[in-house]
Amino acid sequence: MYAVSTFVMNHRDLFQGPPPSPPPQFELERELVYPGEFPVGATASQIALQVLAMLQLDGTHTVARPFSPEKVVINRLHPITPRRITYRAAEKRVTVERMVFAGAGFLERLHRRRGFQHPYLGEDLWAATVDLTIVALLLLALTGLWMWWELRVTRAWGAVSLVSGCALFALFLGSM
Amino acid sequence: MKFSQLNRRSHLYLGLFLTPWVLLYALSSVPFSHGDFFEARDKAQGLPLWTRTFEGHYDLGPIPATGALKPLGAKVLRDFHLEDRAYGVYRAGPKQLNIYAHTFWKATQFQYFIEEKRLVAENRRFRWEHFLTGMHARGGFEDERWFPVLWAVLIDLVCLAFLLWIASGLYMWWSLPALRTWGSIAIFSGLASFVVFVLRL
Repeated sequence: MYAVSTFVMNHRDLFQGPPPSPPPQFELERELVYPGEFPVGATASQIALQVLAMLQLDGTHTVARPFSPEKVVINRLHPITPRRITYRAAEKRVTVERMVFAGAGFLERLHRRRGFQHPYLGEDLWAATVDLTIVALLLLALTGLWMWWELRVTRAWGAVSLVSGCALFALFLGSM
Repeated sequence: MKFSQLNRRSHLYLGLFLTPWVLLYALSSVPFSHGDFFEARDKAQGLPLWTRTFEGHYDLGPIPATGALKPLGAKVLRDFHLEDRAYGVYRAGPKQLNIYAHTFWKATQFQYFIEEKRLVAENRRFRWEHFLTGMHARGGFEDERWFPVLWAVLIDLVCLAFLLWIASGLYMWWSLPALRTWGSIAIFSGLASFVVFVLRL
């Protein structure tokens, strides 16, 4: 996933057209009147949680800025089907829009998903797998170096590969 | 040379050549994954992130309502002798343009207030986590200079290498019958958990 998504992100022009990239397209999924009440003085975050629970869409989300209890825009994150949910307090109306699927966006969402900042178990488990991937990459690099050193027959050309890679990387560090 | 030997050699030499990139992407993922921790740690120092280096009258001329803004950014960078930087130009509302110019080590942001014809320039304080995440996020072929293009080509090579390591790793694993059972369990449990995450996350 990280290899393919990185390639796609490295060639945005090819997959998404020349910059600036157009905003993602949404299509209307459903629209309904919210039958419940909110506590007096409810914050945008509290409204978001209640609306998501009513829609049975509770899960990782963000609330769009600027925060306003009059119009709350909730971005419900999901790798395949992210949704934009808008609650308008004056009409008590909830609009649910689904992002039109695009392969490049799907890969980029997976690539960028990380961190332990959301209070959901699934999110924390994914973040833990991201950390596991980091540890695995470090182990693969270090054990690879060790295995190379154990093989005398490949030491010379291996050293050429390693030193030339390090030299090129150092050149980038100094020049970019 | 037999295929299995070619497979092992290419796996090894490509890995050794790209070791710095593998280490970079691994280490730089730590501040991405634990951003809150690094932010809190930096905040505790109480140091400003940005230092103002210029504020004053500056005329960028007419700003196009739509279309490319890059030439405007290039003019600002020329005037401030920062032509060696990679940069991006962004609209921060109808009355403001932001220009972000950076190297792996340094970053400068310009805020141009269109109606007032006023420019503010600020340098960002160096932070190791920004250095790492900046390198991690650097990519693409938008920069026309040859060295950044070479960096983007190297990123493609890293992507290709990962796919090759997976394919050649699978081939080497399959050649070792003693490891097939536990290897199968590892692959299928990894695939299954990935599918569950994609569907339920």
